[in-house]
Amino acid sequence: MKQDSKKLETSSPSPEERGAGGEVPVAGETTDTTNWQAWYWLVLGALVVEVAFFTYLTRAFTA
Amino acid sequence: MSFLDWLILSATLLFIVGYGTWRTRRAGQTMDSYHLGDRQAQWWGIGLSIVATQASAITFLSTPGQAYDDGMRFIQFYFGLPLAMVLIAIFAVPIYQRLQVFTAYEYLEGRFDRRTRTLAALLFLVQRGLSNGLSLYAPALVLSAILGWNINLTVWLIGGLMVLYTVVGGSRAVAVTQQWQVAVIFTGMVVAGYLLVHYLPAGIGFTEAMQVAGNQGELNLVDFRFDPNDRYNFWSGMTGGLFLALSYFGTDQSQVQRYLAGRNITESRLGLLMNGLVKVPMQFGILLIGVLLFVFYQFNAPPLTFNRPIHDQVAASPQYGPQLQALEQRHATLFQAQQEATAGLVQALRTDDAAQVAAAKTHLQTTNAATRGLRTETQALLKQAVPSVEAKDTDYVFLTFVLHYLPRGLVGLLVAVVLSAAMGSAASGLNALASTTIVDLYQPSRPHLSEAHCVRASRWATIGWGVLGIAFATFAARLENLIQAVNILGSLFYGTILGIFVVAFFLKSIGGRAVFWAAIVAEIIVLLLFWRTDIGYLWFNIIGCGLVMLFAALLSLRRKQVL
Repeated sequence: MKQDSKKLETSSPSPEERGAGGEVPVAGETTDTTNWQAWYWLVLGALVVEVAFFTYLTRAFTA
Repeated sequence: MSFLDWLILSATLLFIVGYGTWRTRRAGQTMDSYHLGDRQAQWWGIGLSIVATQASAITFLSTPGQAYDDGMRFIQFYFGLPLAMVLIAIFAVPIYQRLQVFTAYEYLEGRFDRRTRTLAALLFLVQRGLSNGLSLYAPALVLSAILGWNINLTVWLIGGLMVLYTVVGGSRAVAVTQQWQVAVIFTGMVVAGYLLVHYLPAGIGFTEAMQVAGNQGELNLVDFRFDPNDRYNFWSGMTGGLFLALSYFGTDQSQVQRYLAGRNITESRLGLLMNGLVKVPMQFGILLIGVLLFVFYQFNAPPLTFNRPIHDQVAASPQYGPQLQALEQRHATLFQAQQEATAGLVQALRTDDAAQVAAAKTHLQTTNAATRGLRTETQALLKQAVPSVEAKDTDYVFLTFVLHYLPRGLVGLLVAVVLSAAMGSAASGLNALASTTIVDLYQPSRPHLSEAHCVRASRWATIGWGVLGIAFATFAARLENLIQAVNILGSLFYGTILGIFVVAFFLKSIGGRAVFWAAIVAEIIVLLLFWRTDIGYLWFNIIGCGLVMLFAALLSLRRKQVL
C-alpha cells in the first residue's frame, strides 16, 4: 500500500495542469492499482451482519 | 449542578480547548497548513474526525429521546452510509487526492467552469452556514431549559471557544481537539448506558429490559415494507439514506476536508472506511440508551412533559393551569397501572407460559398506549397555551435523566459530552466554511494575492462565519426536532450538489453550461416540492440528484442538436 501511495504522490499534476481544464479526471481514470476489494467487502459484510442482527432483534423481541 | 460537576465540566472543556490551541499554535502558516494540516493526517485521525464532525450535540440530545418516543427504527437511516463510504473511497477519493484540491468545489472549475464551482460553493455555504448555527443553538436551548443557563451566554461560550482554537490552529486544531472530544463522548455515553441498566429494579437485567422494550415495540430496528411516506424503513435508508450520505461525505466540504487532509490516498480511504464500520454500531448504541430510558421510565415515574420550563409556565397560567393539573393527576394514576403492568409482564416472561405472556403484553400495551395518548394531549395543551414554542419534548429526555439520576461529577461529564460534540462538529463546519469562502470565492478572482494574505483572510473568514453562526443561533426559532431539522435542511440542497458531482464524475460528455442551468432548475423544483408536497425529506436527495442529471443530459443533447 505504501508503494501505491508514493506512486500517487508523484503523479499529482502541477497547479498549471490542474487549472487547464482539459485533463481533469473523471471516475475510472485513477492510477491507484491497490486491491481494495477486501476492505470494501469487510465494510459491506459488516453492514449485512448488522442488518441480519437487527432483523433478529426485531423479530425475537417483538414477537 | 454541584461544584464537582462544574469542576469536571470546566476542566474537561478547558483542557481540550487549551491543548488543541497549544498543540497547533505554530500551525497554519500556509494555506496547505491552515486548511488541510499540511496533508499529514493518518487514517485513524481522519476516521475520528469524520465521526466527530457528523456527531453533533444534537446526536446525543435528540437520538436517545427519539428512541424513547419512537423506538429504534431511526437506525435504518444509516444503512446506506457504509455503502456510500465504499463508493466515495472508490470514485471520489482518487480524484480529489490526485488533483490535490483544497475543496471539493475546486474540482468543478477544472471539470466544468467557474460559475458551476461558484454555484456549488454557494449552495454549500447557505446550507452549512445555517446548519452550523443550529448546531450551536440546539445544545444551548436544551441546557438553558434544563439547567436554567442563559441561552445566549451558552451560545457565545460554546461558539467563542470553538472559534478561538479554529482561528488559531485551523484544520489541525479541529482534528486534534476532535480526538479528545470523541474520547469524552464515548466515555460519557458508555457510563450513562451502564448506569441505566444498573438503576433498573433488582432482578431486572439487560435481557429483561430488552424483552420489556421489545414487547412494547421499541426494538423496531428493521422494517422491510416499502412505503414512500414512511421516513424510516429499510428501503428509504438504502436509497434516500445512501444518497444523503453520498452527498454529505462526498461533496460537503466539512467532511471532504477531513479526508483531503490525509497523507495519501490510502490514509484517506481507510479513514472513510473506518467511519463505514463504526457508524451503524455507534448509532445503535445511542438509540439503545433511548430504549433503556424507556424501560427505566416503566419503573420510575417520568414527568408529564420533559420540557420543564414550558410546563411551569403553563402550570402558572390561570386559564390552562387547572387543565394541566388534571392531566398530572391522570398521569400519576396511569403510571401506577403501567408500573404494575410492567411488573406483570416481567413475571409472565419468567414463567415462560405463552398465554400468560400474551395477556401481560396486551395489558402493558394498553396502559402504554394510554400514557402516549396522555402525552399527546399534554403536548396539544402546551402548544395551545404557548403557540410559539415546540411542545414536543424528545430533545429533553436524556438530559433530564442525567440531571435527576446520575451521581455528582457524572452530570458534569455528560454536559461536557454535549458541549464537546457541539464544538467538534461545528468547528469542522466553520473550518470548511472559511476554506470554501476563501478558496472558491475570494481567491479565484484575485490570483496575485500572496499566501500570507490568503491565510490572514482565511482566519478572518473563520471569525466571520463563527460570529454569523453565533448570531443565527442567538435568534433561531425552535424547529420540530433538532436532528430532523438539520437533516431536512441538508436534504434540500445536497441532492442538487450531488447531481453536479455525479455528472462531473460519470457523464464525461456533459459540459458546464448544461449542468449549471440543470442545477438551478433542479434546486427550484426541490424547494417547490418541499413547500407544496408531503414527500419524505430523504427522497429529496434522490430527486435533486436525478433532476440535475436528467436536465443536464437533456440540455446537453439539445445543444448538440443545435450545433
